[in-house]
Amino acid sequence: MKKNICISLIFIFSLLLSACSLEQDVANLYKKEKPLESEIVIPESFSENKQETIKVVLTQDGKKVEGADYVHFEIWKQDGSLNYNMEKAEEDGNGTYSLSKEFDSEGLYYIKIHASNDGSIIMPQKQFIVGELSKSELEFLQKGLEKNDESSHEHHH
Amino acid sequence: METVRNNTSIQNKKQTDTSLNKTVWRWHFYAGIIFAPFLIILAVTGSIYLFKPQIEQVLYQEYYEVNPQGDKIPASRQIEEVKNLYPDAVVTQYRPGENATRSSEVSITSHDKSLTIFIDPYTGKSIGELNNEDRIMNIIEEIHGELMAGTLGDRIVELVACWAVVLIVTGLFLWYPKKKQNLFGILIPRLNKGKKILRRDLHAVPAFWITAGMLFLIMTGLPWSGFWGSNFQSLATNSGEGYPPSVWLGSAPTSTIKTKDIADVPWASENLDVPKSEIQGFIPLSIDNVVGIANREGMHPSYTVNIPNEKEGVYTLSAFPPKAQDEATMHIDQYSGAVLADYRYDNYGLIGKIVAWGITLHKGTQFGLINQLASLLICLGIILVAVSGFYLWLKRKPKKEMGAPKAPSIKKMKLFLILLIGLGILFPLVGLSLSVVWLIDWLIIQRISVIKRFMNA
Repeated sequence: MKKNICISLIFIFSLLLSACSLEQDVANLYKKEKPLESEIVIPESFSENKQETIKVVLTQDGKKVEGADYVHFEIWKQDGSLNYNMEKAEEDGNGTYSLSKEFDSEGLYYIKIHASNDGSIIMPQKQFIVGELSKSELEFLQKGLEKNDESSHEHHH
Repeated sequence: METVRNNTSIQNKKQTDTSLNKTVWRWHFYAGIIFAPFLIILAVTGSIYLFKPQIEQVLYQEYYEVNPQGDKIPASRQIEEVKNLYPDAVVTQYRPGENATRSSEVSITSHDKSLTIFIDPYTGKSIGELNNEDRIMNIIEEIHGELMAGTLGDRIVELVACWAVVLIVTGLFLWYPKKKQNLFGILIPRLNKGKKILRRDLHAVPAFWITAGMLFLIMTGLPWSGFWGSNFQSLATNSGEGYPPSVWLGSAPTSTIKTKDIADVPWASENLDVPKSEIQGFIPLSIDNVVGIANREGMHPSYTVNIPNEKEGVYTLSAFPPKAQDEATMHIDQYSGAVLADYRYDNYGLIGKIVAWGITLHKGTQFGLINQLASLLICLGIILVAVSGFYLWLKRKPKKEMGAPKAPSIKKMKLFLILLIGLGILFPLVGLSLSVVWLIDWLIIQRISVIKRFMNA
């Protein structure tokens, strides 16, 4: 009898211990968000006196986003010498939105996408290089990414 | 006994009744002696912790209160100030402050210490720092939750809580009137029936009165214990009726951005010819954007932002204000600013809602002062009952024995055995400790006559 109790207790403990972890896709049982995902496509190379096209591909819930609520591009140079204010992007279809601009000055650039669709709002920001970096720009990068000064730029909403 | 002398069948029944009574009493006796000191510790620390908001308001008033003047400066500049003051520190949290007169807080880890830096959001200057380990309420909480002994302490507290349930069940059985009796001795102590009866009544009667409250505190405290609580929360969350994942258990979602698309810092390269592909990429959002998103999404103003220190990490915003209905947990992609998950009280499952209410009621915050006073009353009752029980034992105890009632073999007590096994399954730590008690009894107590006599086994 005592032995049986012991064995059944051990069995029950191991059962309870094994129940300890969360199931992998448990989040599906609760309220789910449908976050917008973005892929920002920067041209491989930039040529002078010519407009270059920057694209963003938006997906949501595994599908390409057609007719997003809004897609705006904001582009500026780190040294402050250039500033393309917030501008509406063209919809090219199949989830792709684009804007063409001239990038004549070499150096470190930033692009911020402001996009919204079906309740999700995103504002991803990407840095890219046109031509070569200047020494001060490299030093800026080495000091850390988060210190880039955003306060000089106007913001959405 | 007199009246049933001639009737053997009734006498037999009476005999099992008294031996059942003795068995229950014996369990109540030993459990009480072992766990009463812990119950007193929990009740005392709990009574103090109940008043944490008021106590901390007085203790840290100079850190908490600021004079509103103009606009608050951005969170990024406040954190910058902290980074200047503590150059080696890692910033882990930012708390904006729930109203205009509340300072903001920046939590950092510096030289293995967790510090909270209080910032005046109007001037951006530091008001002062507190080492989290030194905060008196943290110490009280650590005693209450784990007796300052880490995981082992956590398990002991859980064991005490579970055994307190055993004490309540056995205690109720002993208290339950065996014959027709008026309310005296059941609901009202008998003051004029001699000292022995008064001592018994001063334990049993108040114990009955606080039973419901005590059981409530135990059952609402258990969900945040390390063993029973974790398992319970996992089961609840897995069933879809608990807290959503990451509110209590489970990890936060990860960023939707692929790691290879994230910009690298060109640390070592001195020349200008750095590989572009590494530098080009997504860069993290400023904390100011995160504060903006929190306002946009209507986060409760008492929220705290957990700042990611890894590439895959997310900003996690959480608010656990006094009332359960105001709770919120939100995860924000640190690169895109997308809200990856946003769990409010309304998104909790039924069990999650009940547990959330239990926790705020247990902490005494749900209904403010009334809640605190009611909980305090229960705590004081627990102390009274534990002390009076102990006193009862001291007064009744024969000189050379423990004074425990004689134990009949448990095998004869089928119902009681089933009850104990049931409790042992519901609370595995009780089951585990029961097994240990049986082993000690079988291997030591029953084999050494001195101990056997002392324990009256």
